[in-house]
Amino acid sequence: MKKIEAIIKPFKLDDVKEALNGIGIKGMTISEVKGYGRQKGHKEIYRGAEYIVDFIPKAKLEIIVDTGQVDQVIETICQAAKTGKIGDGKIFVLPVEEVIRVRTGEKGVEAI
Amino acid sequence: MQNDTPQVLRNRVGNMNEPAGMAKTAIEPQDFTGLQARRQALDAYWQQGISGYTLLRKHSDFVDHHLASNFEKNAPAGDGFALVALGGYGRQELYPFSDIDIMLLYEPSRKDDLNSLVEAVLYPLWDSGLEVGHAVRTPEECIADAADDFFFRVAMLDARLITGSETLFARLQKIYKSTYIEGKRQEFLYDMLEQRQKRETQYGRHTYLLEPHIKESCGGFRDIQSMLWTAQVVFGLKNLASLEEAGLLSQEELVRFEQAQNYLVRIRNRLHYVSGRKNDQLFFEHQEEMAQAFGFTNQKDMLAVEHFMREVYGHMQTVSVTVDLFFEHVEEVLGCDESPKPAKTLEPGIELRHNRVYLVNTELISNKPQLFMRLFYQSSRTGKSLHFRTRKAITANLHLVDDKLRSSRRSAKLFLNVLGGSDSFRVMEEMLDTGFLTAYIPELARVESLAQHDIYHVFTVDRHLVQTIAELERLQEEESNIYAVISAPQILFLAGLLHDVGKGYGHGHAERGADLARQIGRRLGLGDNEIAVVDFLVRDHLFLSHTAQRRDLEDEELIMRCARQVKSPERLAMLYLLTIADARATGPTVWNDWKAALLLELYLKIALLLDRKDISAKEQVRGAELGAQWIREKISELAAENITINFDLFSDDYLLSFPPEVIMEHIIHAKKLAKQDVLFFHEHKPESWSLLVMTKDRPGLLANIFGVLALHNLNVMAAKIFTWADGTAVDTIEVASTIEENYDNQNWQAMEEELGLAIQQRLGLEYRLSRKLVSLRSRRQGVQQRLASKVTIDNKASELYSVIEVFSEDRIGILYDITKTLSDFGISIYRARIGSKADQVVDVFYVLDHDGRKIEDPAFKKELHNGLLYAVTNQ
Repeated sequence: MKKIEAIIKPFKLDDVKEALNGIGIKGMTISEVKGYGRQKGHKEIYRGAEYIVDFIPKAKLEIIVDTGQVDQVIETICQAAKTGKIGDGKIFVLPVEEVIRVRTGEKGVEAI
Repeated sequence: MQNDTPQVLRNRVGNMNEPAGMAKTAIEPQDFTGLQARRQALDAYWQQGISGYTLLRKHSDFVDHHLASNFEKNAPAGDGFALVALGGYGRQELYPFSDIDIMLLYEPSRKDDLNSLVEAVLYPLWDSGLEVGHAVRTPEECIADAADDFFFRVAMLDARLITGSETLFARLQKIYKSTYIEGKRQEFLYDMLEQRQKRETQYGRHTYLLEPHIKESCGGFRDIQSMLWTAQVVFGLKNLASLEEAGLLSQEELVRFEQAQNYLVRIRNRLHYVSGRKNDQLFFEHQEEMAQAFGFTNQKDMLAVEHFMREVYGHMQTVSVTVDLFFEHVEEVLGCDESPKPAKTLEPGIELRHNRVYLVNTELISNKPQLFMRLFYQSSRTGKSLHFRTRKAITANLHLVDDKLRSSRRSAKLFLNVLGGSDSFRVMEEMLDTGFLTAYIPELARVESLAQHDIYHVFTVDRHLVQTIAELERLQEEESNIYAVISAPQILFLAGLLHDVGKGYGHGHAERGADLARQIGRRLGLGDNEIAVVDFLVRDHLFLSHTAQRRDLEDEELIMRCARQVKSPERLAMLYLLTIADARATGPTVWNDWKAALLLELYLKIALLLDRKDISAKEQVRGAELGAQWIREKISELAAENITINFDLFSDDYLLSFPPEVIMEHIIHAKKLAKQDVLFFHEHKPESWSLLVMTKDRPGLLANIFGVLALHNLNVMAAKIFTWADGTAVDTIEVASTIEENYDNQNWQAMEEELGLAIQQRLGLEYRLSRKLVSLRSRRQGVQQRLASKVTIDNKASELYSVIEVFSEDRIGILYDITKTLSDFGISIYRARIGSKADQVVDVFYVLDHDGRKIEDPAFKKELHNGLLYAVTNQ
């Protein structure tokens, strides 16, 4: 099993969610995050006042999937989240040792 | 103390709770064996349809009966012991899972016989699994313990003898009274007010929280009880009815209060059942089930649960307001105001008394209904609250608020004055609490106590609206820079007060709200412009937050559309502040740094655009027109007198893509095209090198330009490609060199010469490029293919043109390859938008085929698609 973490542009969240639903991914954790990478923050000056945007708002998705599904999920996220511009985001894939459903105690792929 | 505190009340309301025809054979406590059967007993009562106060009483009787029989069986011979119920149990108000507070009272001389009795009485209680609060004391110990325990002191007020020695109990009552009540009225009041204060801090000041606590929240049972205790200690009044007789409550207030109290009892009963434990908080997850239990069903425009919660909030609000007024009254009676200044007349009929705005004579208001608004105006002006009697007088006379008053210009002026005044939130809240706000603006009645069943909306809609005013007041300070742009704050505050007025009718609340707001604005005598602004703010109050979170803020066309919709910097500032205030006033989870950052980005982008477009324009011009027409006028102003400009040449899209000064330059340059075939300009801008090529449009023009750029190691960052109606091509291209860092070292002259040759078809671009690029291209093979290239041809996106989008990896010469391919197919490019940031290209071309038609033929479309795909991938 793998955990897929994707950092994407906030306005792409609905598209990505929908696309993932389309390939049978029903559950995910979503959070509002801020940070920066190649797309740095910036400073704006408007009517004499300075506005600094040092961290850029992004949406983070976390999905646990069976290893066999990883490529498909990555491809789906890439397609749906892409605008072609800087700041489209990143995807990380991490190994997952165990998954347990709290209610039933089921383990492994069954519990995803 | 007295056994019959709630007796009157029970008689009044008890019967209401027993559904007709349900009372079959009454079940008696002795039908059950021992306290362990308590659950069954309660179930049996419940089955019979017994609820409300009757159930509390039955439950209490049941526990009395079994405790008493245990006590009597085991009490040692002789006098000197008494079993006493305290607190809620003392009042015979026992909820299904309430604590049972009892005290075993004994004469000091009987201490030796105590143990066996304690065991006999308490052990069965513990075995029954009940939460038991118990103590064993002599009367003197009681008095000593009560000294530093406020809760025990008030619990003693409700003490009731269950069984045992009457003389012993009477002795306790006597010394309790002489120690803690007689001559201690004021101290008692202070203690009570202090506790109330603590509760407010812990549970919130409001009655309309998402998950109200039926016992501790404002308007809950603690409030009810603190009023009754205080009435008892301070005035010797034993129940609600005597409060009315003493003139502390009006008949109408009494009826409403009892209804509220009775409703809350039923809720708390059911809540214990639903949660299966002692739980007095109406948690979100229970609300739907509770709504069903109370017989609400989902309606078209309101959910059952929203209907139910509206009732709950309404009743808690009644309790809260009544208790507030009561305590203010008591404070005045006991003279808690330490430095009473003499009353000061503010205007005829209105005084400042005890630091409160006071209506001298209630009768006045029926002759002169304008006094309603005068009172709030004075309250706003002086910064002092209304006196409790004045608030009561307002509530009692709301029937006098009629259409005449509602359409009075004088009152409207005062109202707007209060709204835009320095104490807006406090006065609006008093207007809401007295019921005046809804009487004055009846459109708000629909959202009164209206709950929204989701985890975001913490407040009911009416509270949320008033809360929005509070947030706008905060923003006035925090965002003073932005606030400074706003010339009529009262319009913003009015929009804040009305933005959700369309709720409670189902979907589309913003549009409906805007219609209602216009109607209200007209009644308040606003001018057409002001009404238009209020309409805009209410209608679009979600526009900025939706756009910020759901749309691509790097899409310039989107920002342009936003600017057109918002129209002016002032309207933008108002909408921005309203958006923040609305979000903050919704609940703690709605507003955060993350959303703030997105919203700020959108705000700045629109603001900068609006500023660029109307540096010197008058406010009205800004408001009315921002589009191409405005740019045309601007250009006409810029033009020297001897120049005539034919505006038919320019599409709106072209006009909106450049500042007026730049377009003016294009027009001046174009005059030279009569003598010179190709014009080339280059400029060093901070973020890129900017090129302008102007010439007569011809097949393959773009391919030739891009080819020369590639030859000179220039990468295209962005490009705006336009063709005027007379066939003049105006191509602005932002480039960066792949090898040269110094602008001045670039061989611009050679480039200009080659550009001229290439455009006139006299340069062998193909062979020059292939020789130059062969090494580069072979090196990059293999790493390229991770991101798939994509070509789309869309005939719907534009009315006039086919829109071709090409996505691909960036590399030297790719634009040449794309545009060359288009040219080979005989395609004319009328507009292009080149975006190549990082290592990716997204190019958009607005094109027609060689006959000037869209690319509709499926076979040709497919061929073109494949040709382009080949051009970007297989070189």
